Amino acid sequence: MKNSIRWIFPFMVLFLMTGAMPREEAIVADEQLRVITNGGDKVMTFKSLKKIMRGEKQRWSDGKKVTIALLKTNTGVGELTAKKVYGMSPGQLNKYWLGLVFQGRAEAPHFFISEELLILYVNSTPGAIGIISTDPDSSDNLATVDGKKVF
Amino acid sequence: MKRLIPIYFLLFCATGTTMGQGLLDDTQIRGFVHFDSYYDYENKKASFGVGEQDLFITSTVSDKVSFLGESVFKYSGVFQASIERIVIKYNVKGNHNLLFGKHHTPVNYWNDTYHHGRVLFPTIDRPKFFEAALFPIHTVGASIQGQNLGELNFGYDFMIGNGLSAGDNAVDDNRLKSVTAAIHVKPKYGMRIGLSAYYDHISVPFSNLTKHGPVIVSALDTITYDVHQLVYTASFAYFGSNYELLSEGTLSRNSSEFDQGAISTSFYVYFGYRIKDCKWVPYTRFDYINFDEDDNYYTINDVTGIVFGTRYEHNYRTAIKFEYQFADYQTTGVSNVLKTQIAIGF
Repeated sequence: MKNSIRWIFPFMVLFLMTGAMPREEAIVADEQLRVITNGGDKVMTFKSLKKIMRGEKQRWSDGKKVTIALLKTNTGVGELTAKKVYGMSPGQLNKYWLGLVFQGRAEAPHFFISEELLILYVNSTPGAIGIISTDPDSSDNLATVDGKKVF
Repeated sequence: MKRLIPIYFLLFCATGTTMGQGLLDDTQIRGFVHFDSYYDYENKKASFGVGEQDLFITSTVSDKVSFLGESVFKYSGVFQASIERIVIKYNVKGNHNLLFGKHHTPVNYWNDTYHHGRVLFPTIDRPKFFEAALFPIHTVGASIQGQNLGELNFGYDFMIGNGLSAGDNAVDDNRLKSVTAAIHVKPKYGMRIGLSAYYDHISVPFSNLTKHGPVIVSALDTITYDVHQLVYTASFAYFGSNYELLSEGTLSRNSSEFDQGAISTSFYVYFGYRIKDCKWVPYTRFDYINFDEDDNYYTINDVTGIVFGTRYEHNYRTAIKFEYQFADYQTTGVSNVLKTQIAIGF
């Protein structure tokens, strides 16, 4: 037992020292976000938006399947979405979805590299919901969050 | 069986109405691999180890039906391949689903959440009670599942299956089904509190018993009569922005017509602290298993163990862990191991 305790100390030191290593600074664009949906609920609270975007709601109230569309987390808007909507860093958001999909408890979101592609996808997919920053050409699919079109 | 026919018929009809909507291309293949190296102080030996390669496939088959498959390839004396999960999910309504196939038995948090996803593990290895086969890892059967219901994000799993002694066989070895009932709530983001109960009638011969991990139940060699197994578990998990706390307890009762029943208990507590603005998470975990000496089913080997370690999360797909592992086993004595692991998700 004494022998084993001797080896615990180097690890205890490592355990205490690891706090000194800095994490990469997150760069978040100073932009506002908008929610677009194809069908589904057009009026929602921020709390219900978070629930939907976390994959906690599988169906809209009309029975359509909820399909989540996000910008990749290495884009400015994707990073902002992670921070504002999920309360996570981009890495945490990706890990969150990896874990959830692996558990079989949710279907993975669709990630896009541009807002144009995301809007195109949402417009052509019944039940889809996406988050963008630009004002879409048509406001038909724009949802209000806590009574606001942008947040 | 006749009662199940309408359910299968409904499933058949529902899939028929939603097929051909161009969703079949919505298939993803992901996976996990890991590489271990360790130094064993008792044997004064350093070793390297190739971990398992886990592949999982998810596919949206139709608006209502999805599929998840998971296979593991690993070296354990010889190279082995195993089907870990084949789950066909049918959405009944809202957040309620029917699931068919080979599942991770939803008896506890770790089994349901991490299983083979080493990059997601908070520590290098699973808690000790996995080694001791104290609960069923997999179940072949059907279940109904609900999740994120109401303000508390209530969830439930009710599963019937072939049971442990049937192994992965398509034909059950007895008339009785294993039953799992699990509930949980998630009162705030990152927190989950769960309870579960599992019942199985494990019948002789035990040659099909699902083997998972290095310890095989002693029943394989010694028991010539059926065993009734009842397992209760409780779990608490909280993974916040700084603090991580995960604790699970298991109480397992094995009985037969020849004895009054024996109760074995186990628990573990994991605590991690994510240092602000850092990718490092120092952590510790304490494990405890206490077997009832009168239990003829399990291999009696009480364990007390502790690990100290730190996890470096390079990104969400790469985790590097350094760990000191101490364990005191009733039969084999003390184990002292320094271990590192690189785990990748792809």
